[in-house]
Amino acid sequence: MARYILKRLLQFIPVFLGVTIILFSLQNIVPGDPIKLIAGDKALSPEVELQLRVANHLVRTDGNGQAILDENGEPIPTPWYEQYANYLGDLLHGDLGTSYARKLPVTQIFAEKFPYTARLALCAIVIEAVVGIGAGLISAIKRYSFWDVLVTLTTSILVAIPAFWLGMLLQLFFGVWLKDWTNDAFYLPISGAGGPASPFYDWVHYILPAITLAAVSTAYAARIMRSQLLEVMNQDYIRTARAKGLSRRQVIYHHALKNALIPVVTYIGLDLGAMLSGAILTETVFNWPGIGYEIYRAISQRDWPIVMGGVTLIIGIVLVINLVVDVSYAFLDPRIRFGAPKDER
Amino acid sequence: MAMLKKKKEASKQNLLSKQLKEGTDKAFAEHEEKRQAASEVKSAQHAVDESERHADYRTEYDAVVGLEAGENTTRTLWSDAWGRLRRNKLAIIGAVWILIMVLVALTADLWAPQMLGSPTAIESQDMASLSLLPPSLQHPFGTDMLGRDVLCRVVYGARISLAVGLLATAISSLIGLVMGALAAFYGGIWDTIIMRLADIFLAFPYTLFVIVMLAVLGSGIQNVFIAIGILGWPSIARVFRSAILSVKENDYVDAARSMGASDRRIIGRHIFPNSVASVVVYATMNIGGAILTESALSYLGMGVTPPNPSWGAMIQDGQAYLATEPWLMLMPGLAILTTVLAFTLLGDGLRDALDVKMKDA
Repeated sequence: MARYILKRLLQFIPVFLGVTIILFSLQNIVPGDPIKLIAGDKALSPEVELQLRVANHLVRTDGNGQAILDENGEPIPTPWYEQYANYLGDLLHGDLGTSYARKLPVTQIFAEKFPYTARLALCAIVIEAVVGIGAGLISAIKRYSFWDVLVTLTTSILVAIPAFWLGMLLQLFFGVWLKDWTNDAFYLPISGAGGPASPFYDWVHYILPAITLAAVSTAYAARIMRSQLLEVMNQDYIRTARAKGLSRRQVIYHHALKNALIPVVTYIGLDLGAMLSGAILTETVFNWPGIGYEIYRAISQRDWPIVMGGVTLIIGIVLVINLVVDVSYAFLDPRIRFGAPKDER
Repeated sequence: MAMLKKKKEASKQNLLSKQLKEGTDKAFAEHEEKRQAASEVKSAQHAVDESERHADYRTEYDAVVGLEAGENTTRTLWSDAWGRLRRNKLAIIGAVWILIMVLVALTADLWAPQMLGSPTAIESQDMASLSLLPPSLQHPFGTDMLGRDVLCRVVYGARISLAVGLLATAISSLIGLVMGALAAFYGGIWDTIIMRLADIFLAFPYTLFVIVMLAVLGSGIQNVFIAIGILGWPSIARVFRSAILSVKENDYVDAARSMGASDRRIIGRHIFPNSVASVVVYATMNIGGAILTESALSYLGMGVTPPNPSWGAMIQDGQAYLATEPWLMLMPGLAILTTVLAFTLLGDGLRDALDVKMKDA
């Protein structure tokens, strides 16, 4: 087990480096001079501009933090590999830069936003796990029944729905039409995460965004659950258990379900990473004050440190969660640990 | 009964020819003809029995022996698959819907502007009287805030969505096929590099990656093609690589090699046709995914530039009128839903027909 974890950690390193290289390159092909973006519309004196360049490691400096000038009195730009090293160093120290527009450290901005995204993601994961596994289970046990057809049809449609449109449909039904039908007596909030100004309890605000965020993943979870259970039910050991005289119910709950659940739980685990990573669309539709909405706003304001910092943060979370899921997968399923079917990846 | 009679007739003829001792070619030919007719009747009868007994397999049987598909059809993976696909109602519904969408998108210029008005132009003098009309006979999907017909914009939006879906998938498939083939055939260091590269790309949450890529490249439809196309390759490369690796293990590949077939022939005749099936299935489903991604980008305002119509952008425009004029967001949303669903259904049908095992679909 320890060997497997070590192996996975070692594999993690090239992926991490590759991801940082891609992010660093993206940062550098961003249109516009970063110094001009920091200054906004203000004109800068050459001295201030040089200071800013020094502060952002864009020019070479001597030991005292003074820019080294070439024979023409111009500062020497830092070569890209040094910039990358600086970037990596900052990253490993947890420094994601400073927002151009808000002049705050990016980490501070996201520390404020992260709890909203995390709570929303947890609600969505609970919905996904309960509804997805439940629906898949019913669908597989009562194969070809009305419920199976219903689940299959619903999941097909959910997979084809744009998440943001589903969110708007929910807003339309539960926020607008329900309000009309009940003469304003009963409806759900369609914007924001609550707070003192809202007439609702805070948790009510989570209902619609969580359903929207969970919808597509729930459909996938149900499909995987169904196909896994059907596949496991065809295995020899299930027939053996039946032949020993166990009832179908006992076989399903004690033998089949445990094995069928492994891939589903893995999928849901990986999905937690994707959801924590800020569902940019769901958060935009519902004006949710989370990471995704912040990134969306930053893109339209060209506030690159927030965009890149946010993406870096998200990928960091996703990578760590993937690693944890992989390791626990190996823990649950010895076949992975001992590396039997290697080509199946 | 008829068979027996014919047989009797045939044997009578036989006797006669013997008696007359006219052992000529003509008589023999006649005899042969009759015998063949008899056996044809017999085999036809047999086929009818068979098909009644195995009604389920009838279409497949027809496809296999080429009764309907034409005489020169040999039994291939693709003809078998077509026979199976034809019986899948949902897949055919999906295919027909895609065909309708493609036709509508291609012919839009011929009828949409005449019947519904321009999708982009704004009639400034009549705008007040034309804007935000509810659905009616003249404007089946209503009009938007600038007085443009929503149906017309949905029709023109189909062009963008289908073009993005098809072209972006073509780009991803091309890169994915090359990368997957390189990894599978050369193995070793190539395999490691390409698959690690795929891992790196797949570490990014897809939608977020596309959005950031577009933020960096700047919005606009060409960049949408590029971003979705380039970022889609790792999954296709993986699918193709593992398909090649499993096809390579088949006995017929060893057989071809032992008969002295060249590498090029083995790859071209045996490995490629058999492993590309999974990529076809994956790509079909991927088209729907690309359409969804395009709509998301347009919704966030990073896709086509206004006033050009795109389904995602129309939904975003409609969001402000959600409470009062919901058809503005409902109609383009339905267009996305049905089109993506059609590609999913066709992809599911192809998967079953081609008997491709998809791990996470």
